Amino acid sequence: MNQTIDIKLTEEELEIFKRIIQKSILTRIEKIRAKGGVVALSGGIDSSLVATLAHEVLGDKLLAIIMPEEGISPENDIRDALNLVKSRGIKYKYIKINDAVKWFTEMLPNQDLNDPRTRLTIANVKPRIRMIVNYMYANYEGKIVLGTSNKTELLLGYGTKFGDMAADIYPIGDLYKTQVWQLAEYIGIPTEIIRKKPSAGLWKGQTDEEELGHTYYEIDRVLYALVELELSVRETSELLNISMDSVEDIYRRIIRSEHKRKPPTITRLSKMCLDKDWRYPVERY
Amino acid sequence: MKKLKIAMAQIETKLGDVQGNKEKIIDAIYKARESGAKILITPELSTLGFGSGDIYLDKVNENLEALEEIKQVAGEAGIIGVVGFVDQDERGFFYNAAAIIEDGEIIGKYHKVQLVNYRLFDEKRYFKPGSHLPVFKTKYANLGVLICEDVWFPEPSRGLTFRGAEILIVLSASPYDRGKNLLWKDFLRERVRDNILPAVFVNQSGIQDGVTYWGGSMAFSASGKLIKELPLLEETFGTVEIDLDESKRLRRRDIRVREVRREILEELLDAYEDMNL
Repeated sequence: MNQTIDIKLTEEELEIFKRIIQKSILTRIEKIRAKGGVVALSGGIDSSLVATLAHEVLGDKLLAIIMPEEGISPENDIRDALNLVKSRGIKYKYIKINDAVKWFTEMLPNQDLNDPRTRLTIANVKPRIRMIVNYMYANYEGKIVLGTSNKTELLLGYGTKFGDMAADIYPIGDLYKTQVWQLAEYIGIPTEIIRKKPSAGLWKGQTDEEELGHTYYEIDRVLYALVELELSVRETSELLNISMDSVEDIYRRIIRSEHKRKPPTITRLSKMCLDKDWRYPVERY
Repeated sequence: MKKLKIAMAQIETKLGDVQGNKEKIIDAIYKARESGAKILITPELSTLGFGSGDIYLDKVNENLEALEEIKQVAGEAGIIGVVGFVDQDERGFFYNAAAIIEDGEIIGKYHKVQLVNYRLFDEKRYFKPGSHLPVFKTKYANLGVLICEDVWFPEPSRGLTFRGAEILIVLSASPYDRGKNLLWKDFLRERVRDNILPAVFVNQSGIQDGVTYWGGSMAFSASGKLIKELPLLEETFGTVEIDLDESKRLRRRDIRVREVRREILEELLDAYEDMNL
């Protein structure tokens, strides 16, 4: 096969991407006359990248909200988040979500976190708590919520619906994780943030790559082959010299998570069904 | 040497903002006059704006009224305008069109022949394609006008070349994705080289609903040399001086346009019909 995995961005592309992302944030805010943006900052690379890019164009109109679950969220994440906002002069709030997590957990019949069902359920409650705080501040200050999902996560469905996936725009949603690393390096995100093992921070010691069963480098190559090159599972496996099972696993994740990438499906009964026939942009004049 | 100064309005038009777009076009006409340019080119669908959504169906009348005003201003300023707009025929069909304005009158209209209906594009939802490749005779030059996707096919520029165009004018609203600006440079240069004609390409800038129009308007001399390139992503204005005689000089020895054989064109048509059997 003659096709190549061309994920790596050139210097010129990095500059173009940076400018486009920043302009897309500004355009939405200006168009809907919002007063700025809110971003949940975990101290991980995605939110650090979005916060930094947004801060460069929004300045004090950006609010970063650091929402750790103290004792569970890795301490170096909290420290990295605080260092980032302080060194860059980003306006921020620090709100720990421990009490809210406890409050929700108590509503479940089985509150034992060793039970896998409870553990996963509560893992999804946490980003939804952060979502409420995000939108609470967005409402209060007349701002929009900047999502931090990247293309790798969106394709795998590796995010919580109406949780961390809840946002008004996804400025880095068309960037693969390894491209996020590149852009973060390009704009000067501190190395400790870039080098850190990616983690959704949903339970202690969790890392994305362990949970997903592949490295991001590997995943991105498979996704690139399947999505950008539109190769079949077999062709992808041959091109990348990765087992059919691994490719199949990633392929199934893409298919199973389609619902997360779409607004709720409307049952069509009229000629002007709002998610099918009606087509108007958000930035409408 | 017959030189022609052309103004390139790389404006940030907004889909549905007809009044705002009109003001930007009028402003560009004044800038063109100040710069001493004879011709002003706007991006594709500049009055209505390019983008996604059914606004095309709602604002066609407003866009036609805006064109009337643009026509008047261009006439007063003594500028020949090549302006992207939505045309409507007597049957009520819409076209992705360019109006050629000289002395305050619309001397001709071009309808985009290659509508785009793949990936994020859905032009057939709104527009009927044109089927003609007219060349517009103005006091300064014979203009061959194309719109965006038309340049991704070799045939439309070929047709205009056979009809005696002295320059290819390309109105565009091209959305950015990786490498798109470089791809466009290749396409434009190929058309220029095949036809031994200069070309001026004017692209929209700005972002709407996450889609970026990358600007980067360009001009090529008849020999395929990039002689002007406006910045990427920015709303800006530029001018370029085109040597209209270069093509004739090159064609003294470069016989590729003159020696196109009718038998081969017929064969091409036969082959095309075979392909579509």
